[in-house]
Amino acid sequence: MARRLYRPKPPINGRRIGLYVLLIAVAALFIGPFLILLSAATKPASQDVFGFPPDLIPRPPVFEWFREAWTTIPYARFLVNSVLYVGITVPVYLVVSALTAYPLARIAFRGRGVFFMLFLSIMFLPGELMLIPRFLVMSELGLTDTFAAVILPAILSSLGIFLLRQAFSQIPDEIVEAARVDGANEFAIFWRICVPIVAPTLAVLAILGFVSVWNSFIWPLVVLTSQSKFPIALGIAYLSGVSGTDVRGLAAGTVISLVPVIVVFLLLQKRILNSMGGAVKG
Amino acid sequence: MPGLRGRVVGQHWYTPYVFMLPGLLFYAAMFAWPAVIAIQLAFSDYDIVHPVRFSGLDNFVRLAHDPRVWIALRNSLLFVLMFLPLTVVAPLFLAMLVNLKLRAIQAFRMLYYLPVITSMVAVAVTWRYVFNREGVVNWVLGLFGAGPTDFLLDRHWALPTVVLLEAWKNAGLFMMIYLAGLQSVPSDQIEAATIDGANAWQRLLNVVVPSLRPTFAVTLVLSMLEAMRAFESVYVLTRGGPLDSTLTLGYYIWSKAFEDYDMGYASAVGLLLWAIMIVLAGFNLLVTRRRDV
Repeated sequence: MARRLYRPKPPINGRRIGLYVLLIAVAALFIGPFLILLSAATKPASQDVFGFPPDLIPRPPVFEWFREAWTTIPYARFLVNSVLYVGITVPVYLVVSALTAYPLARIAFRGRGVFFMLFLSIMFLPGELMLIPRFLVMSELGLTDTFAAVILPAILSSLGIFLLRQAFSQIPDEIVEAARVDGANEFAIFWRICVPIVAPTLAVLAILGFVSVWNSFIWPLVVLTSQSKFPIALGIAYLSGVSGTDVRGLAAGTVISLVPVIVVFLLLQKRILNSMGGAVKG
Repeated sequence: MPGLRGRVVGQHWYTPYVFMLPGLLFYAAMFAWPAVIAIQLAFSDYDIVHPVRFSGLDNFVRLAHDPRVWIALRNSLLFVLMFLPLTVVAPLFLAMLVNLKLRAIQAFRMLYYLPVITSMVAVAVTWRYVFNREGVVNWVLGLFGAGPTDFLLDRHWALPTVVLLEAWKNAGLFMMIYLAGLQSVPSDQIEAATIDGANAWQRLLNVVVPSLRPTFAVTLVLSMLEAMRAFESVYVLTRGGPLDSTLTLGYYIWSKAFEDYDMGYASAVGLLLWAIMIVLAGFNLLVTRRRDV
């Protein structure tokens, strides 16, 4: 037998096939549940959604459950709301985070470290623990059951400030000094020179912000009472209350809610995945 | 970085504060103020209808004698114990798998990461369907001779099922953290070990694991805090039931506050959870610092 070592990348060998089988088996664990849900959402009424052995291929695939989910609850309204929540929260989040991180990275002032620690302390005030006091703050401000109440707590995150501070401090001094000599003021340096340079970090934060706002559930549940302001995640919970045992309709509604996040993820996956490790490694 | 002494042209003493003003305002309104309220409430009686009444340490005395607090504490610790191996150990193997130089490996990373970006509500709908008595999981178990189980309705299975869901949903995140760590392991060390005749398992234990120490510090603390504050998964899957078997501290706080409107008492339990989380994080910091020296 020829020695494998010297062959240029064999197209087929046992070890590689074994690894791919393993990779696919693990992938089935992670996406299988979603595919099973999709199968329930597209099965005709005549086909069982439960039972052994499971019958997963819809014969034929139908789309009536999507229509049903869409009309059982004000689905379009919930989608529009979620788009609005994301559309308002994410840009404000980016601007506020960049403004806050900039002096922490590029201006020398007394107490800079203290301010940085202050913003990092947000990590130790997780949303779950802030539900009660934030709810009371919102009632105090007269903001319960408003769009603003959903948006305001999402504007500041320690991750955003941490990553942007790091990105800003990596900008070489020469670039900034040249502009300063030309007479640019601090805000112009920030806005016209530094912000464009940290655009990749802003993009990562925009994606993470999109995902977290799109999926936010508990805080809107606490602070909203009018159905007309529900984001999509709350809409799914509502649908699961309304449709009760109607597995197909609920499955279809859930599938619709997953589509936007999955599409954004597929389009930008390289950026998201490459950033995750880097973010934590810091 | 501009020098620490002397002011840079175009900067005034107030320049940094002008930049930070919006951030500081949001911090004050959405974090500092609520934190103060939370501490105040923990020492008060408040049911939303009647005005806040200072009650001293009453809430904490009550807390110490509340059997459900102890149940919740036990469940939260069980949660951590089950969650740790699933998120600190298993994702390392996932990361080693997707660190292989194979065609289309990025696609597999992506698929494993997918549950991380989906909403807990959607995941719960999916899991309730798959883990149903007549669902696919029970069918697979049936092939191995195990009888069908109502996982989410069974006192013994409900908590492990919720933990499994959280671990499944977060595995991709932990995998990516390990992947970043693995990619910074110097490959010449691994090669040297290979030449010295170390097999794959020895290489893992003696070369890879020690150089991943900083990564373990991150995953360990992340995993503990994540498990300790688990709440949304409990809310959407079991609501603390059956028979309080999935009652975690996070869920108990919620139900006291927004079902019983016992805001003061709920805040006291919240303070307990907060203290536990800070102790866990501090403990982690201490342990990992000492090892670094």
